[in-house]
Amino acid sequence: MSNLNILVVGVGGQGILTLSRIIGESALRRGLKVLIAETHGLSQRGGSVIVHVRIGDDIEAPLIPLGECDLMLSLELVETLRYLNYMGNNGVIVSDTLILRPPIPRVKIPSYEEIITTLKNTGLEVHLLDASLEADRLGDIRVANMIILGYAISSTLLGKYIDIDSVVESLAHIPGKELNIKALSMGFKFGVKH
Amino acid sequence: MTYEEILAEPGSTVLMLGNAAIARACLEYGIGLASGYPGTPSSEIIEALAYASRKLGYPYVEWSINEKVAFENAYGAAISGVPSIVAMKHVGLNVAADPLFSSAYTGVESSLLIVSADDPAMWSSQNEQDNRWYGLHAYIPVFEPTGAQDARSVTLEALKFSSDYKHPVILRSVTRVSHTRTNITVGQLAKPKLYGEFKRDTSRWVLVPSNARRLREELIAKWDKITKDLSDNPLNTSEGPRDSRILVIGVGVGYRYSREALQRLKLLDTVRLLKITTSIPPPKSLIVRELEGKNIAIIVEEGDPVFEDQVKIIAYDERLDTKIYGKKTGYIPITGELKLEDITKALADILGLNYRVKSSVRVNIEIPPRPPVLCPGCPYRSVFYAIRRVIKKLKVNVVYAGDIGCYSLVVNPPFNAQDTLVEMGGSIGLANGLSHTLRDSIVIATIGDSTFYHAGIPGTINAVYNRAPMTILVLDNGVTAMTGHQPHPGTGLDALGREARRIKIEDIAKASGVDSVLIAKSFNIRDVESKAELAIREALNGKVSMLIARGSCILTAIAKSRRYKVKRPVYSIDLDKCRACTICYNAFACPAIIPRGDGKASIDPRICTGCSACVDVCPFEAIQSIEVVDETWRGILDEVGLDSE
Repeated sequence: MSNLNILVVGVGGQGILTLSRIIGESALRRGLKVLIAETHGLSQRGGSVIVHVRIGDDIEAPLIPLGECDLMLSLELVETLRYLNYMGNNGVIVSDTLILRPPIPRVKIPSYEEIITTLKNTGLEVHLLDASLEADRLGDIRVANMIILGYAISSTLLGKYIDIDSVVESLAHIPGKELNIKALSMGFKFGVKH
Repeated sequence: MTYEEILAEPGSTVLMLGNAAIARACLEYGIGLASGYPGTPSSEIIEALAYASRKLGYPYVEWSINEKVAFENAYGAAISGVPSIVAMKHVGLNVAADPLFSSAYTGVESSLLIVSADDPAMWSSQNEQDNRWYGLHAYIPVFEPTGAQDARSVTLEALKFSSDYKHPVILRSVTRVSHTRTNITVGQLAKPKLYGEFKRDTSRWVLVPSNARRLREELIAKWDKITKDLSDNPLNTSEGPRDSRILVIGVGVGYRYSREALQRLKLLDTVRLLKITTSIPPPKSLIVRELEGKNIAIIVEEGDPVFEDQVKIIAYDERLDTKIYGKKTGYIPITGELKLEDITKALADILGLNYRVKSSVRVNIEIPPRPPVLCPGCPYRSVFYAIRRVIKKLKVNVVYAGDIGCYSLVVNPPFNAQDTLVEMGGSIGLANGLSHTLRDSIVIATIGDSTFYHAGIPGTINAVYNRAPMTILVLDNGVTAMTGHQPHPGTGLDALGREARRIKIEDIAKASGVDSVLIAKSFNIRDVESKAELAIREALNGKVSMLIARGSCILTAIAKSRRYKVKRPVYSIDLDKCRACTICYNAFACPAIIPRGDGKASIDPRICTGCSACVDVCPFEAIQSIEVVDETWRGILDEVGLDSE
């Protein structure tokens, strides 16, 4: 199997580290080698967060080179835009439709329509999901990450590397695992329908 | 964060953070003591060991008051024959530099491993210093894991080397080693050596000049032996054809980038690749052997061109005319951290190959910045909001001498309340000098609780002793919040979560002779305002005053509310009362308060923490709670510290 470069991006506090760790645990269960370069400390305080997840036997270096990301999982649209320069020409994006305003006085943020048009114009395969909205309906916005993950497994190349069973096993020790699994299967079903 | 994986079954392969792998190696070696002070990217080493110690009953683990004391703690244990480690971020070693140098003179009786986690690219730091210089400077060997992949095995070797040579060893990690998670196969845990004995030997442990002069001679001789022995250390390996004209030297994590770059350029079979793990002192005979017959040598290392310099010295001494490339020759950036695309391009350019960074997607849209900010419900937001109002009311010029912690974030608008920020404890230190030299400004030194214990106390005493008028604003949220809620002497817990004696900041201030010590509730803007005014007036009158703004870190408060099943209120805006004055979202800038299209405010109930501080911000009483606020919740907000589990 060839190497897979995944970026997990979003805003500090959205469960990005958890999401990447679960991907890593699942890959490990499938006997795959994984490197996850995390963001800790200062930048976690509501700032932009980017985690590099690399799966494959030949992988040595922790960071994905610009222009070589195969799959981006994003929990927030402005952050999807911010890291587009990492995307390879055949890259796939799965992004939440959520927009979080950076809490800076008088900040100007692009509109939803502008962002969507920009994403479409890249020519990349872009999947948009109301993951946070659905997660909120499930009872906890923090499980949006599992909806994104479930979706990516059923509708992108991630499904060749990890499957739902390995994710469920990896969730065994997570607090609130029932809700996480529920969100995961919800995302998976969205992806199947797609 | 939990660290269950650190106690994984021997022989199993688990996903582990580089820092956890370092901690695991310590348990496999059988260390008896570990200490440190939190700092990104090092904190998880001590956290993981504290977790292990809670489960196993050993080793002894502590969060020390600062890196110097942490170092001395481990040094003392190693003198008594107990294998020990001390972990800190790169700049922490500056604080601990004094005992560091002495430790090379005296040596130790068992392992003393100094873990320095450097932060290239300054993700969470004020500088990009490369602590391998300390190894050269202090005559202490430096071992560098090449990634999270071998952090465990290199730590084990470094501990063993330290014990064999009775000499301290620096284990130099970097952000991408410490904070990379990967598959690690773990070994057996060893029986720890927890107790030692002190062998009295004043000629060795007492560095009066007559002893130190002799010990320096001995140190130079020992360094020669270490240099010779490390030349044949099996941690340094080579691959690829010996007769190649090209040599790439990958040092530490530089090896991983070099190897993958060579692979991408399909050069692994034609170029000789040398992996260096023991970078200081440089393995001289190995370098000479590998340089012979090479036209080109390219050095890839994280940080300063430390190893590049060493190789150039060796090449000069041995009259070798290999052309040496690295960070000083312009191909590899000297600032920031290594990147695979940069290294691939550098190797291709030096070797005259064609390689272009893959065309990346470019878009024509302005992307707003998203710097880290105070959390919704952070007690510091209301404190700085109030302080700024007082300054405006008193019509005084103020210089905010800032410091390191979550409150550093108020450097940004709308608060703009960190005018300097240089190092731990620097707020009060700089405020001393500023107050002597500024004639028409008052100086407010802002410092967090953990930072105050760490390095704020000498500056405070100095200000009182030398009459440096200032207001010291201590932001007390009860924990070392920025690095992940580690306890400190004011928390009431130790590293293992056991109850600890609480040392109060106000007691220290009073004992130090601070003229007036005031305590305000951080979430209560009126309370902060009235006490800040008193404190600042004292400073205007030539006194040293301290305002302790006390209120729980909101993340701790939320955790407590969940644990004790206390309902948190949710606030909302009464749109009939809201007049779109923008104060709550522009001047108070809570991330939960969001402007609507018409300029009025709205509160996102999913982000609102219920801290209640914004209620006093609104001039029109438009911010209200849907339900009556539980008094227990107010108590949780106003009280700092952690409870033992």
